[in-house]
Amino acid sequence: MPFAFFISMAYQIEVTHLSKHYQVHEKEPGLMGSLRSFVARKYRAVKAVDDVSFNIGQGEMVGFLGPNGAGKTTTLKVLAGLLYPTSGKATVLGFTPNKRENAYLKQFTLVMGQKQQLMWDLPAQETFLVNQAIYEIPRAQYDATIKELDDLLELGPIMKKQVRKLSLGERMKCELAAALLHRPRVLFLDEPTIGLDVTMQARIREFIAEYNRRYGATVMLTSHYMADVTALCDRIIVIDKGRLFYDGNFRALIERVAPYKIIKLQLAQPTTAEALAQFGQVESCNGLTAVLHVPRATATESAARLLSQVKVEDVTFEEPPVEDIIREVFAGIGKDEARGARREARGAR
Amino acid sequence: MGRKYLALFRSAWMLSLEYRAEGVVWMMTNLMSIIMLVVWLSISHGGPVGGFSSGDFVAYYMVGLIVRQVTGVWASWGLSDDIREGALSPQLVRPIHPIHRHVAANWAEHVMRLTMLLPIVAVVLIITPDARLYLTPISIAAFMLSLLGAWLVSFLSDYAIGILSFWTSQATAFTQAMQGLKVVFSGILAPLQMFPAAMQGALNWLPFRYMLAFCNEILLGQTRDERLLFGLAVQWAWVLFFFILVRILWKLGARSYGAVGA
Repeated sequence: MPFAFFISMAYQIEVTHLSKHYQVHEKEPGLMGSLRSFVARKYRAVKAVDDVSFNIGQGEMVGFLGPNGAGKTTTLKVLAGLLYPTSGKATVLGFTPNKRENAYLKQFTLVMGQKQQLMWDLPAQETFLVNQAIYEIPRAQYDATIKELDDLLELGPIMKKQVRKLSLGERMKCELAAALLHRPRVLFLDEPTIGLDVTMQARIREFIAEYNRRYGATVMLTSHYMADVTALCDRIIVIDKGRLFYDGNFRALIERVAPYKIIKLQLAQPTTAEALAQFGQVESCNGLTAVLHVPRATATESAARLLSQVKVEDVTFEEPPVEDIIREVFAGIGKDEARGARREARGAR
Repeated sequence: MGRKYLALFRSAWMLSLEYRAEGVVWMMTNLMSIIMLVVWLSISHGGPVGGFSSGDFVAYYMVGLIVRQVTGVWASWGLSDDIREGALSPQLVRPIHPIHRHVAANWAEHVMRLTMLLPIVAVVLIITPDARLYLTPISIAAFMLSLLGAWLVSFLSDYAIGILSFWTSQATAFTQAMQGLKVVFSGILAPLQMFPAAMQGALNWLPFRYMLAFCNEILLGQTRDERLLFGLAVQWAWVLFFFILVRILWKLGARSYGAVGA
């Protein structure tokens, strides 16, 4: 018994067979549809989250990947206490989130890229002060945290400008600062870099990584931008149509699904695909540009041979695009599902 | 909690300063009361009407301006927007109930307007010799208590309507209906003594009188002793009723918000 207790204390976030279904009322288009729905409403059950289980330990940075409508945001909202599980269990830091106890609310933060908490017509600083009071942050700690956030995010004078006059990037920085004033132990970040330019995205990513390093905070991140996940998370959870498809090391997934590297060549003189085929799998070869896929294990060796024997103007080495990897994962899942469905159909006969 | 309110009040105050243009709208709403006063003054020129002399009308509407300002509430609009747009979510993950922000905003506005209104009302009352207020320690204390009660009944009933937004997108239609009823039956338009006696009887039990007219009557000396105690009892019973209603509706609403997907 005590041993089991110790094990469970090791996880900060525990999700067990979590399901979230809700009824969406369906209405046919047009006037007849409106009348019909007025008299007899038709409901359709949506399985936003379907039997999902995972555990996250302290200090982990976990990326949540999946297409739109996969259930990523819904899962985060359950963990933040905004939604009630239909079945299954979710606990964070030992709390049941939907009870929304103040003791729990003070220990995490939820940042949603499209929703803001900053007061629109006042400087961000004013929202910070309100948060200081609401989260009951002692003055000394507040000053220290503001200074650190200022350093990390380079807030400077934008804290004193009205929020509505800030650019999107500046606003996002202030949103993050406001969300982290109370030094939460757990961060739920839902699309935090959405709409930002590349430089700002990189800056935000560095900040999150640094925050995790300094405070050992646990981070759960959803994003459409694969670069967010690649840069920040060692572990990813892939979710689609509410179901969990992969939970593990990101690099391992890449190895498994895309065990190759991409070499892009800018040739000094035209050559043929056959000539390049000895170095790796030729994806394309038009005139002076060529793209090869080489196995990871022998990538450097192949590259060395290639460069010694072929005259090139320029060469770049790239990881396979993460979008392709994810597509592969889902294609693989699709194939498995189709195979399973065929097996079932055969069994039924 | 006090420190939280101080911080909320401070930022609400700053926002009120920002929205200076709304002061014009506010002045327009008070204009209606002034116009009604002018109407009654011309009617009562020949003699008292319904027990009200010209001076009494002045006193009624001047005190009414103060009470109307204090019982002005609009939280249901903001709450309705927040619920429908999902902006309630960031508020729900913070360790303070969303209602407090509305309370602070409401009072910041009251303090701001009253500082402008009180001197004007005081001057008008002073220069009108017939406008006499019934001022005793008891009536003043009772007035303050009834003013607090009036604010609570107004605010809580409005907030309860706002909470309906969890289930319907038409909650603000109810707000406007409530506002309409309030203008007539709380004595904003005319003193309740002008209504037929049977109707006055019914109005003694409904919450509307206790949102304005009741307070006016106390300070005009029209409601004293047992009637005063009776009125306070009914008013605070309504306060308790709306308080419980808000609590129950909020619990149900938050649960429904969590069920449907925010």
